[in-house]
Amino acid sequence: MKLKILPTHLRDKTRYLAFQATSEIPLGRDDIISLISEASRDLYGAYGTSKLGLWVVKVWSYPSPEKNMVKGIIRCNREETNATRAIIPTITRFKGKRVVFQALGISGTIKAAITKFIKLNAADD
Amino acid sequence: MFFDLHIHANPELAINAQKMGYSGMALVLNPHDYGDKSKIFNNIQRTIDRFHDDEKPNIKFAVEIDAKNPKDLKKQVGKFRKKVDVILVHGGDLKINRAATEDPRVDILSHPYRSRYDSGLNHVLAVKAAENKVSVEINLKYFLLTRPTQRYRVLSQFRQIMKLHRKYNVPVIITSDASSIYDLRHPKDVIALASCFGMTNDEAFHALSTVPQNILAKNEIRDQIIIPGVRLPKQRSQRDYEA
Repeated sequence: MKLKILPTHLRDKTRYLAFQATSEIPLGRDDIISLISEASRDLYGAYGTSKLGLWVVKVWSYPSPEKNMVKGIIRCNREETNATRAIIPTITRFKGKRVVFQALGISGTIKAAITKFIKLNAADD
Repeated sequence: MFFDLHIHANPELAINAQKMGYSGMALVLNPHDYGDKSKIFNNIQRTIDRFHDDEKPNIKFAVEIDAKNPKDLKKQVGKFRKKVDVILVHGGDLKINRAATEDPRVDILSHPYRSRYDSGLNHVLAVKAAENKVSVEINLKYFLLTRPTQRYRVLSQFRQIMKLHRKYNVPVIITSDASSIYDLRHPKDVIALASCFGMTNDEAFHALSTVPQNILAKNEIRDQIIIPGVRLPKQRSQRDYEA
């Protein structure tokens, strides 16, 4: 049996953080998840990470021979947006190669995050 | 207005930093790159000249002095003071830290906590640094490239510096020390990260914006200062008096 969904006033309030990453080797969605959760664990530990409510919502990748670009959206708790943003610059390496993450902006809905910060081309939808 | 006064000498980095939202940066060169016919120096000048006037990145030149002892430091600071815009001192050694904070010609004391367990500053050095307006650097590359298991140590060093900043008003500056595009960070991300070592948003903004601006403004009028507190206004030509 599926649980009944919580009433709105009891749900966790969320914010969506759009980011972009540049790396030397291509990154998939699983790589992004492991990078972010590891960085968060290094910075805040298990206790601090549990409060953030992290979730990687969606990832778009733009591979190219020199610089691989990835854009994506992370969900976090409304009260912890600043703490989540602090994780982003601490990511430096992935499998011995250099990576850099950059936050594009924070938004209240996924739709707004895509139109405002990710700026997809019509072909990517 | 954000500034980054510690970027390695690579014109491409400066352009990337400008795209990221920095309105001014200082390229740090080795002392021996300032020879008259140095290739790196000419290369940077050529790249800057290629830009149109309105897109030109606001680039200053800086030198990082790695001195063996306090005497050597004094000698090198005297040599470079008139040649470059910003002088950084490679800290870490206690004697060098002390000599740098006592010299008003030095602008930035770079990583005084380098390969140490404490912050490399105490109340004595903090008072001196505040008197002589020597900024203490919070070096992001040092933090980010430390192993995750050791990062707690760096965070506590930064925290200690902030404690001295609040008590003695030591100027604190945040720099990236970037040597590739993978070291550059967005200024707003840096402000968010700064809350991890106990900086409020205002303090972090101050360290990225006001302190570097003060350093650059001070160095522009440095030639006119005769002794601390006395400034010779711009000399007028003979024609001004006749008119």
